This record gives sequence, structure tokens and C-alpha cells, in this order.
Amino acid sequence: MVTETAGGDRTHMNRTQYFIPAILLILGCSGLSVPAFAQFDLAGQWSDRYHEDWPERIPGPDAVDLLGLPLSEAGRAKADSWNVAVQTLPERECIPHPATYGLQGPANLHIFSEPDPVSGRPLVWKIYGTFGRATLTIWMDGRPHPSPYALHTFEGFTTGEWEGDTLTTYTTHIKMGYIRRNGVANSDRATVVSHFVRHGNILTITTLVEDPVYLTEPLIRSHSWELDPKQEVLPTPCEPVVEVQRAKGLVPHYLPGENPFIEEVSKMYGIPQIAVRGGAETMYPEFRKRIKDQYVAPAKCERYCCGWGGGGGNVNLLKGCITGGASNP
Amino acid sequence: MNLSFSRFGIFSAAAMLLSLAAVHTLRAQGGGNAAPPATPKASAPIDLTGYWVAIVTEDWRWRMVTPARGDYASIPITPAARAVGDAWDPAKDEAAGEQCKSYGAPAVMRNPERLHITWQDDNTLKVETDAGTQTRLLHFGNWKAPQGPATWQGDSVALWETPTPPGGANARPQTPAKSGDLKVVTTHIRPGYLRKNGVPYSASTVLTEYWDLATERHLSAAFNGQQWITITTVVEDPEYLQVPWITSLHFRKEADGAKWYPQPCSARW
Repeated sequence: MVTETAGGDRTHMNRTQYFIPAILLILGCSGLSVPAFAQFDLAGQWSDRYHEDWPERIPGPDAVDLLGLPLSEAGRAKADSWNVAVQTLPERECIPHPATYGLQGPANLHIFSEPDPVSGRPLVWKIYGTFGRATLTIWMDGRPHPSPYALHTFEGFTTGEWEGDTLTTYTTHIKMGYIRRNGVANSDRATVVSHFVRHGNILTITTLVEDPVYLTEPLIRSHSWELDPKQEVLPTPCEPVVEVQRAKGLVPHYLPGENPFIEEVSKMYGIPQIAVRGGAETMYPEFRKRIKDQYVAPAKCERYCCGWGGGGGNVNLLKGCITGGASNP
Repeated sequence: MNLSFSRFGIFSAAAMLLSLAAVHTLRAQGGGNAAPPATPKASAPIDLTGYWVAIVTEDWRWRMVTPARGDYASIPITPAARAVGDAWDPAKDEAAGEQCKSYGAPAVMRNPERLHITWQDDNTLKVETDAGTQTRLLHFGNWKAPQGPATWQGDSVALWETPTPPGGANARPQTPAKSGDLKVVTTHIRPGYLRKNGVPYSASTVLTEYWDLATERHLSAAFNGQQWITITTVVEDPEYLQVPWITSLHFRKEADGAKWYPQPCSARW
């Protein structure tokens, strides 16, 4: 109570001044503070394994392949409007992979920390290696995220905290970019939650992308990397050049209903359009009931049949594999 | 004022000493009159029980439908595996009563499905799948595998992996850990398929899994609180894989079993 004399006030101040630090000290001595022992070392060279979605992640996805994406109508329309030629615009050639896609794309990682000068603990973790050098910086000092109107970048603004032996990060302030390399977009309102877990020499990162504009549910994906001390992650410099002469102001695109590749995935893989067009319902097991009688498997695989990467695998062993894809081993 | 300060100083110092003494006593008990170790069920650092649904956002074309013959994308197979895969014949499997070849332990979790996870007893976690109506038993402790032929789900040995406690790996934690993961190693698996279209795994296969649990706190209100299991999976097979096949899967917790949809094994779908 602060109802006493001025002197009484000072007494109160003194009590507060010394009592709170004392309690904090006691808690610290009691082992009730955040346990450092639950953390693991992220630092090192991490080599990506492409043992899922190799065709999407390495050579690149098929046009208008929206399979398994919880797209909104706006997200679907945005993807339909994408023309691959847009990437030949000098303004677009060097766009880095944003935080919504960086860990999904081809990415061997070099992870390192910068220590807090006082505690010696990591002040930031840096994840280097995603295309275009959108290096992810994870602030570990509990700082708040900036104002919603602050600068948006492809890497975004990321904070992290340990939850037991899991590092959970939260990324905001991401510039509009892509969540799949065929034009499926994220808006500048997208956020990313990531969970880092390490099991021996395997690092698994699970990411959830939430986007109130282009997604109706969080998009969850997870990938694993293996520790590889011999790996060297090189920079991916990019210099814009004029690849195609165009009239000034022309931006390649498709107007609604004019994308000629809408049915290509259906024709190539026999998968019905209701699946190819994406939507949250396509992520759930019960969706199979809807397509069971419509799916017609191709007689044989024609494209990207044997691709995989990482681990120094000898792809020459697979010569002769049924394939028609140019990027195949 | 000085008197007040002194009282608080004494109080603080006394409390700190008591606290330190309590911690010391607790840690010392680790090597003394310790209570019997808690059962794996009681000491579980994470609760995996309940109904879970696979959210298929990755490998959709190879999981949600049966891919074409010869589609081995993403799997580091050997030439021997390719020869088996090229000869895949689901009719032959059906005639031989082997419809469950793509529901063995190295493949069953990749199916679009729901899981029902319960404790069968204090030492055995039971994982049921509605796809193929399979049951995996994850055995903790000093479980001994029974003799007999290999089975689709093999012999699974499980343990909780928890962070190293203060004092090092040999120190006994005083309370059950509140974080950790489940490690499962499965062997003695009946040969089958990694993928529905006949990509094989052999009898020598060893499956290692790490189950991690996360509760979301940074999503919007509609999705906050969601619980997810991520399973990091390593399949080693010297006969049919050039290198370990490393993948990860995710399952989201559901409120109940309303969407549980048991289906028998299928060699074609």
C-alpha cells in the first residue's frame, strides 16, 4: 500500500527494490529458471535429404500442380495467373526464396550462432544457404516483433525460444513470395512457425505457414537434414540481366480462365481435377473416397521416375530406370 | 528504514539458503532412497494418446493415389529394388494373400490414415491405423521379442528420450521430464513394399523412428492449441536402399474418433 508518508514510501520502495531481486535469485538457485540443458547445438553444416517430393523440390513442380495445398479461392486464382516467363523479368530474376519456402526448396544449410557478449549464449541463430541469401536470423533474446507496418523482407523477422528440447521459431514481416515454385503465392500477411528437433546427426524442421489471404488452414511441411562437416554451402549470387526483350511494362501472366496448363497434371498423372486444384480437403485421408473412382494410374512412369538426392548416392546405379524426364539420372 | 532493509536482507538470505539446501537434498536423493522408477506410461514426457489424422501435404502423388509402375521418385533404391519394382503385379499379391505388403512398419505410417494411440499396459504403447487396420505395439523396458516368423509390424522396442538432467547423464532427475521424444526401433519385419507400387524393402530392414510432439501457440485463434506429432523416420535396408531413406511425417490431434474409418489392406488402392 502506498498510503504512508514520504518516508514510508521510501521504505516501500526499498522493500520492492530488494525483495524482487531476492526472489529472482532464489528461483534461479532453485533450478526453476529456463533449463539450458534442454537445448541442443544447431551449429554445423546440414545436408538436405530429398527423400520426399524430389521432383517438386529439385527440378521443380509441374505447372498448376496445387496438390495438397490448403488454398483459398484467392490463392487458387493467384496461382492460375502465374506464367513461368515472369521469372525472366530482370526485376524478378533474383527474388530469394522467402521464409515460407526457403526450407522447402533446395537448401543445404550452414547454421551458426552469434553469442550474447554478456551471457555467452546464442543471441541469434543464423541459417544460411537458402536460395538468394535470404538468411534466416533467429533472435533468441525475447525481443518483440516490430510493428505490423515495419519493413517486410523475404527472410522476415524471426524470434525463437526453447520448448524443452525443441526450438520453436516464429516469423512475421515476410514479403509476398512463393510457397511452391510454380507460382503458388504467400501474401505479406503470412507467418511461419517452425519446430527444430535434433536426433543424433539428423535435424528435422517442421514448418507451419499460415496466410489469411491465400490459405484456409495452416500448411504444414517437414524435412530432414544430416550433419555433414565436409559440406560447404556456397553463396548463390544473382545478377539480373535482360533475358527477353519486351515492351516496357509488360508482365507475363494469364488472365482468369486463360491458363493453358490447368489440366496438364491431370493428363500426365491421371489425377482428377478436383485434387489438382488443391484446397484444404485434399490434405485429408477421406478425400481419397472422392477420387477413388476417377483416378486412372498411367501405365508406366514417364517423368522424374528415379530422382532423389543427397548422401552422395550414386545415381548412375539407376541408369535404365523407366524415365522420360530430362533431369532424371 | 534500515531496520526494514535488514529484515528483508535476512529473510532473503535465509530463503536462499533454504532453497539451496532443498535442491541439494533433492539431488542427493538421486543416489539414495529412491522410489522405484516410474513405469514408461507414468513417466511419459509427452502424451501421444488419442486420435490423430495424417495431413498429406508432401509426397501427395505417391501417397494419396497409387503411383504408376516404375515411379520411384525420391527413394534411394538400388538396382535390385528397381528390378523388383518393375515386376510389380498387384493381382499376384492378391492371389497370394499379400494385400498388406504396403502396410508393413516401414510404410504403414505414410498411408493417408488416422491413428488411435493408447496404452495397452504400463509398458506397451499401441498404435492402431484405420488404413489397413494394422496394430503396432511399441514395447518399453526389457521386453523380449517372441520367436516366430516375421510380421508386418515387426518387433518394436521403444524408449523415451529426455534432455540430459542437471548434473550430467548419470544424474537422476527428480521429477518426470516434461519434454522429450519417443524413439522406436523396429526389426524382424516381414518383407513388403515401401510404396504401394511395389518399391520393396527386405527382411533385413531396420526402421528407426523419432516421435516429437508440438503444441502450437503462434497460430491464429482458430488454429492455436493444435497438437502435432512429427515422426522422423529412417529406413535402412542394405539390399534395396543405397543410403538410409529419411523422411518425416506429421499427424494432427483430433478431438475424438468420429472420422475413424477402418479399411482392409488393398494391393491396388
